[in-house]
Amino acid sequence: MNDRTNLPMPPAVAGRVMDAGLELLDRQVLDPEGVPVTTVDELELTTPDDLAHLDPEKPPVVQALLTGPILMTRIFGGRLPDSRFVRIPWKVVADVETVVKVGVAADSLDASWTERWVRDHVIARIPGGRHDPE
Amino acid sequence: MKGLFAVALGVLTAIGGFVDIGDLVTSSVVGSRFGLTLAWVVVVGTIGICLFAQMSGRVAAVSGRATFEIIRERLGARLAVANLSASFLINLLTLTAEIGGIALAMQLASSIEPALWFPVAAFAVWIVVWRVKFSIMENVTGLLGLALVVFAVAIFFLHPDWSALGSQLLQQPSPHTDETPASYWYYAVALFGAAMTPYEVFFFSSGAIEEKWKAKDLAQSRVNVLVGFPLGAVLSLSIAACAAIVLLPKGIAVTSLFETALPIAQAFGKIGLIVAILGFVAATFGASLEVTLSSGYTLAQFFGWPWGKFRRPASASRFHAAMILSLVVGLGILLTGVDPVQVTEISVVFSAIALPLTYLPILIIANDPKYMGDRVNGRVTNAVGLIFLAIILVASIAAIPLMIVTGAGA
Repeated sequence: MNDRTNLPMPPAVAGRVMDAGLELLDRQVLDPEGVPVTTVDELELTTPDDLAHLDPEKPPVVQALLTGPILMTRIFGGRLPDSRFVRIPWKVVADVETVVKVGVAADSLDASWTERWVRDHVIARIPGGRHDPE
Repeated sequence: MKGLFAVALGVLTAIGGFVDIGDLVTSSVVGSRFGLTLAWVVVVGTIGICLFAQMSGRVAAVSGRATFEIIRERLGARLAVANLSASFLINLLTLTAEIGGIALAMQLASSIEPALWFPVAAFAVWIVVWRVKFSIMENVTGLLGLALVVFAVAIFFLHPDWSALGSQLLQQPSPHTDETPASYWYYAVALFGAAMTPYEVFFFSSGAIEEKWKAKDLAQSRVNVLVGFPLGAVLSLSIAACAAIVLLPKGIAVTSLFETALPIAQAFGKIGLIVAILGFVAATFGASLEVTLSSGYTLAQFFGWPWGKFRRPASASRFHAAMILSLVVGLGILLTGVDPVQVTEISVVFSAIALPLTYLPILIIANDPKYMGDRVNGRVTNAVGLIFLAIILVASIAAIPLMIVTGAGA
């Protein structure tokens, strides 16, 4: 496996090539205002037609950044039903630097539903919760 | 005055590392049992925390990333979860101890049962975390914590035998035949671990972001580190010295905060005691704030939640919910009747996991030009950083066996 000459040539794509495991996984996701959305817990790739023989012409591509309960299965193993996947579709990703930037507001993404839930049901109901600290 | 407030973050951070409730009592225990023979450990620990706190502050100012974000990025989810669990438990146990510490200090002042102070203390900590601006919080607690300088002043008023005190500094290890080498080294590791406890860098780097430090504020970060931590070390050594002068010759064993304050009572009487108690309250309160916020920072940064006191609580809802839960759990542990000071001793075990897993990623990121541009570590910093990583590793490995052998220093 270490023989680099056997690896398929990278596809001719526009843009820069990156190591998704290193530069996407476990990175902070920020919205255009700089508000943290989540951390990239896992990546969802397209499934090739024939898993046994990957076609070098059509490598799998990143479809979505995943977050939420998927982190537990990534750390401890096991499988998660598709219904519990929380996706940030790749098309909203605007830029990848030391952080992943998305082009839409944090509150508009499914990934931040727990933040909104805790805010609406707990924190905003405690006196002073909606005010700036003094 | 402005100059003093400019280093408030460093001072408050150092309070949690050097003069929180565990250290107030431990320093005094060490002074009363070993004299100043362990002072060198505090000096080594101070150099270590200065080095890594400055690194974490520099990373935060230049790249805008706080420490636990980079821990997860560099270690991956699994090792980061191990670190998060250990660090969070340290935070929680320390938080429990500090709230107990506020209550113990208030007991010294008021003679009211600590159990009655626990809820008051926890609520007061929450109100500050909930409503008070970060800058006001650090200025007030940092300034009031300086009341502990009374211990440094007391050394001179106790008219010690300076040459005896000086010779203790050089006598290695313990000059006392009834102390075993194992308990000497147990306290060495405990003091070192306390000086370099991970929540200091979590708090310092997150505080740098709360204060919106940028690359141009690096000088300010350096001053914070170079004033704050050595000041904390001086306070901690002064407490040990006071104990070595007054308690050691009389064979008084330190079991609580009361004995820590005894030398002050001897030197200055009631007035001094009032100042010392004010310092105890401020230091334990400051440390409570530091660990409460640190538990929120670590969780939020690991999971990528919005965090920080610069946001409204409603805009960082899980961050605030996590801190409220930590306070409630800490209060619950206290109400079972455990001794707050002993709680901090258990956290030594978790430090063994958390210390190396915290300082290694900081060192790696501080060398990454993608984050740091041309502000990466120099060669000397890296060399000293590696030496300290080795010391941290040795201390981590030795901590648990030493704890078992000595029965936690008994």
